[in-house]
Amino acid sequence: MTKQKKFYLTKEGLEKIKKEYKDLRDLKFLKTKGEMPKIWHSEDLNPEYLSFQEDLSFLETRIAELEYIFKNSELIKTPSKEKQNIINLGAQVIVGVDDQTDEFEIVGTLEANPAIGKISNESPVGKILLGHKVGDEVVVSSPIMTIYKIKKIKYNIS
Amino acid sequence: MKNILNFLIEVGKLKRMPRKGWVLRGIKNPETIAAHTFRMAIMSWLLGKEKKLNINKVIKMSLIHDLCEVYAGDTTPYDNKFFSKNKKQWREITKKWPRFSKKEKEKNFQRKYKKENKALKKLLLNLPPALKGEIRNLWIDYEKGSTKEGKFVHQLDRVENLLQALEYWKKDKQFAIKPWWIQIEELVDDPILLKFMKALDKNFHKKETKEKIKDKTCGTSQRSRKNL
Repeated sequence: MTKQKKFYLTKEGLEKIKKEYKDLRDLKFLKTKGEMPKIWHSEDLNPEYLSFQEDLSFLETRIAELEYIFKNSELIKTPSKEKQNIINLGAQVIVGVDDQTDEFEIVGTLEANPAIGKISNESPVGKILLGHKVGDEVVVSSPIMTIYKIKKIKYNIS
Repeated sequence: MKNILNFLIEVGKLKRMPRKGWVLRGIKNPETIAAHTFRMAIMSWLLGKEKKLNINKVIKMSLIHDLCEVYAGDTTPYDNKFFSKNKKQWREITKKWPRFSKKEKEKNFQRKYKKENKALKKLLLNLPPALKGEIRNLWIDYEKGSTKEGKFVHQLDRVENLLQALEYWKKDKQFAIKPWWIQIEELVDDPILLKFMKALDKNFHKKETKEKIKDKTCGTSQRSRKNL
């Protein structure tokens, strides 16, 4: 972690990370006191149980990592009206590609999940879409050429 | 011990289950789910070390990431709206990477998650609680990419697929390689994996171009000699 990296997060994403941080801090406290946490039966990831099996140093590493994220995080905000015709972080974009239509939301790496259409601004396609407008054709050519035609841009950031 | 043995017998089925993506593309003797898992575990170790990740966790995560497929089977992005019963159309359909609306993506994601979660619960049912909990948490982390290890292994899964696809493409140039590159350029953002993808490009595509140029050059010089 020598190089400073910016983490772009939505308000919702930041809240999620804050919760994990609090849970891990509580767990560290329990662990140093030698108390076992209860096993959760939640459908979500249970960082408490997961981390408890790991060495204390891993727990501390994750806490330090989250602190680093807080320190270097920046909230994704809706751009001003005159800039809403340009793809930036938080934009929802409709593109035409290979005679089909696709829908992406450009997010920071921590919130990316391409399976539900959230692509990272650090992925080759996410990166190349940034700064473009409706009507632009963006070419990704490594190693096979694909053209993304931008059809619609909108912002719906809470 | 009996419960662990039963679990292992069930998991062993993955050694005989071909991956659906290759079946759809008409690959003869396709790679099995277990074979994919094997190379992914090695990759997560080697590449995860470069990234200074928790190696114990990434290897375990790779090993368990497809266990649910014992009961859920292998799912491909073509399964929903693109799937055709006509086997002859499969190869044609898979030449394009399937596109969906945001709503469709969310629906497909939830459907797959529910199906696989149910299958994993069934598979882990009689394992000791600590093991059961560990495997479930690792799988949820992998599926949701909650930690940096989960995010890394999730992307690595696709990179291993790309490597296998390139190996098939190298043997048979009719194999459509474009969809594999398209999906990966949208999915991967990890710097180490992007570096690895460049190495794949160099090895499979640029090397090939070089070889073609070399062949042409050899051809030219032979012709030149003949002319002499």
